[in-house]
Amino acid sequence: MSETQTAVVVEEEPTRRLTLSAIRPFLPFIGLFALLGFFAITTNGQILSVRNLTLMLNNTYLLFIACVGVFMIMTMGSLDFSQGSLLGVASIVVCVLSNYNVVLAVVGGVFTGAAIGAVNAFFHVKRQIPSFIVTNCMMFLLRGVIQFFTNTPIMGASYLQRDLWNMPLMMTITVITLGIGYFVFTYTSLGAQLKAIGAGQTAARFAGVKVKKVKTLVYIAAGALTGFAAFINCIKVGSVTALSGMMLETQILISLVMGGMPISGGAKVRFTNIIVGVLSYRILNQGLVMMGFDTMMQQLIMGVVFLVVVALFSDRESISVIK
Amino acid sequence: MADKELLLHAEQIDKSFGPTHAVDHVSLDFYKGEVHCLIGENGSGKSTFTNMLTGILPIGSGTFTLEGTQVAPKNQVDANHLGIAIVVQEQGTLDGLTVAENMFLGDEGQFMRGGIKDTRAMVKKAQELLDDYGFGHIKAQDPIENYTFEERKLVEIVKATWFNPKVLVVDETTTALSQDGRDHLFRIIHRVRDHGDCVIMIDHDMDIVMAISDRISILRDGEYIGTVATEEVDADRLKTLMVGREMNEKYYRTDWGPSLAQDVAITMSHVSVPGQLEDVSLELHNGEILGIGGLSECGMHEVGKALFGASFDRTGEVRLADGTEINDINTAIDRGIAYTSKDRDNESLLINDTIADNITLPSLRDYGKFITASKVRSEAEKYADLMSTKMVGVSQFVSALSGGNKQKVVIARWLAKGSDILLLDSPTRGIDIKVKSDIYNLLDEMRKQGKAILIISEEIAELMGMCDRILIMKDRKIAAELARDRDLTDTDIIQYMI
Repeated sequence: MSETQTAVVVEEEPTRRLTLSAIRPFLPFIGLFALLGFFAITTNGQILSVRNLTLMLNNTYLLFIACVGVFMIMTMGSLDFSQGSLLGVASIVVCVLSNYNVVLAVVGGVFTGAAIGAVNAFFHVKRQIPSFIVTNCMMFLLRGVIQFFTNTPIMGASYLQRDLWNMPLMMTITVITLGIGYFVFTYTSLGAQLKAIGAGQTAARFAGVKVKKVKTLVYIAAGALTGFAAFINCIKVGSVTALSGMMLETQILISLVMGGMPISGGAKVRFTNIIVGVLSYRILNQGLVMMGFDTMMQQLIMGVVFLVVVALFSDRESISVIK
Repeated sequence: MADKELLLHAEQIDKSFGPTHAVDHVSLDFYKGEVHCLIGENGSGKSTFTNMLTGILPIGSGTFTLEGTQVAPKNQVDANHLGIAIVVQEQGTLDGLTVAENMFLGDEGQFMRGGIKDTRAMVKKAQELLDDYGFGHIKAQDPIENYTFEERKLVEIVKATWFNPKVLVVDETTTALSQDGRDHLFRIIHRVRDHGDCVIMIDHDMDIVMAISDRISILRDGEYIGTVATEEVDADRLKTLMVGREMNEKYYRTDWGPSLAQDVAITMSHVSVPGQLEDVSLELHNGEILGIGGLSECGMHEVGKALFGASFDRTGEVRLADGTEINDINTAIDRGIAYTSKDRDNESLLINDTIADNITLPSLRDYGKFITASKVRSEAEKYADLMSTKMVGVSQFVSALSGGNKQKVVIARWLAKGSDILLLDSPTRGIDIKVKSDIYNLLDEMRKQGKAILIISEEIAELMGMCDRILIMKDRKIAAELARDRDLTDTDIIQYMI
């Protein structure tokens, strides 16, 4: 938050000054290139090899798609921790239905996600329970469901054709999803209303925003998107295990925050947060792998990075409004 | 005044927020046993000055000397220990705590018995203080949210004064209080003064300033203009000193004839809202300004919400002239109803959002299916300029604006929407004279255009000056209806309120 914004009284015409706040929007970009530069040096340029870039790209599709939904939720100042387990459950549905028909599998995944999103919305919007509690409970609940079904071996494998996994198709799907997300966020009143809810729910209501309706819609849409991502997960991995989608919600959160998204949502949210964030996260992740850190060490470093980024850039004034 | 003893001396106090010089090297003396008012337009630095004195803001530069000792409080509790207390402009009590806990917030140490808080002793002491102040109807063990905004203010006043502070700052508290609450406040202010301590009071109401103060200091744009003894000036002279120019525009409406139009714009029949309204019926006509007055908790603020479709658990009917029922906010807005809340920062404005977003939010649907940033920008600029809002640009955040300019943004929003029925709750609350007069002129202009305007206000002068009819509310019901009349006095009105 810039100094001019925290000031209680600004009567004289203030002039813009170059402060941290002025360069804040560019920091995620700087961070992205700094990461790339850092790992280029530590891995002797290997991270920039075609093979590695392809690998990294292949790992971003799912994250990109799931991020679009959570991005909209976080813009409203809410959270969603159920996305990873939601992906797991939707993956099971996709796997089962893929026995019959690929299209049916996609539709099934999307509907499963949407239904779980609707349950989240019911408890958060209708019953007024804070979103992080609702979605945390949902995460535990769904993890149990996944455990139960993945114990039966028949669910373990996907019958989806592995040859669906090709770069042009995945790229197209991802770009189209991001494109639709960008369009809705930037050029429709829904996008503006999301930001308004994040900036002040009560005032938004008094200005004619149907807060409950919008929130419900967004939770369902986010669930549907991750349900769709489950389809991509299935053709990529080829099976569902008890660990499917594990930690996805954290990856989404870290990505968005690294992309410069204010954790409390609101007016300062930019769609580029998704793009920059997912790319930064992927590079950091891949870089750590290539430097030979084991999984535990990677997690530790990610955690530290997450905390540092949040501490540096969070909007402390409005942090208390996260619901 | 020369014989008075010096209590507090401010020397070259200075504070900047980024590029804004909020307080510009102000030096001031405060004496024992005086009520000293600070006046000035919005953004003249009054609150910033007292906030530094009371530890809410760190001192930029300069020194405060209290009875010969330099003081620089780190926070409000620290200030209290130094003998400086403040009643803040906005809500200063915390939800979730009891009245007693709020009263001794940050000062629980006195009730600690071997590391355990003695709640009973705390409640007992709090209740004794409340009884002593004559607020016995407030129970110390109750959660504070059981009480109204006004009662909570009374608790704050007790909290700020029970330990006999040497300096008491009262920052624009009267706007939150009804006549009744004001009388309590004035009684306490006199008590502090008679005790030989000093009250520093910030207020926009010139009548109150003239009535209560011994001396008045004027600030303008952060600079110290001068100090005068109250008996040597009149309200007009003060206004001139505040704005730095003669105020020759008319302030309220000047016509006294009967109102022009008679066709009904919106009707409210037998509306009740639990705990707020009981069987209230009223008609608002096109081309009139209808006023609603009363004590702060008489339910009048709910009338605006009920007409706007924003009340919860409402019964009864709200209908437009064409028969449309208003039961929700969206229908209300679509049918040309505008509402500005008394709670401007929470209910009217998205504080952490831009001026552009705030102005255009309700109108977005009218811009067609697809909205472009340039459309939002140009619409916002058009109406912000129309209201002559003081700003860097429409991408500036609303949180950086002063109270008056915030209200201009709220009004610009409804001008942009082209609303025909305006429900304005406390439209000039905490706003300086210049902006106030702008708003009054605008309202009169809109009235002449045939718009229906409802003003809910705690300021009797505003109701008498602006309204064609005044409804007085008492205990959630309408108690009286008065027509516009040159000979109406505030005592006429007050008798119906209490």
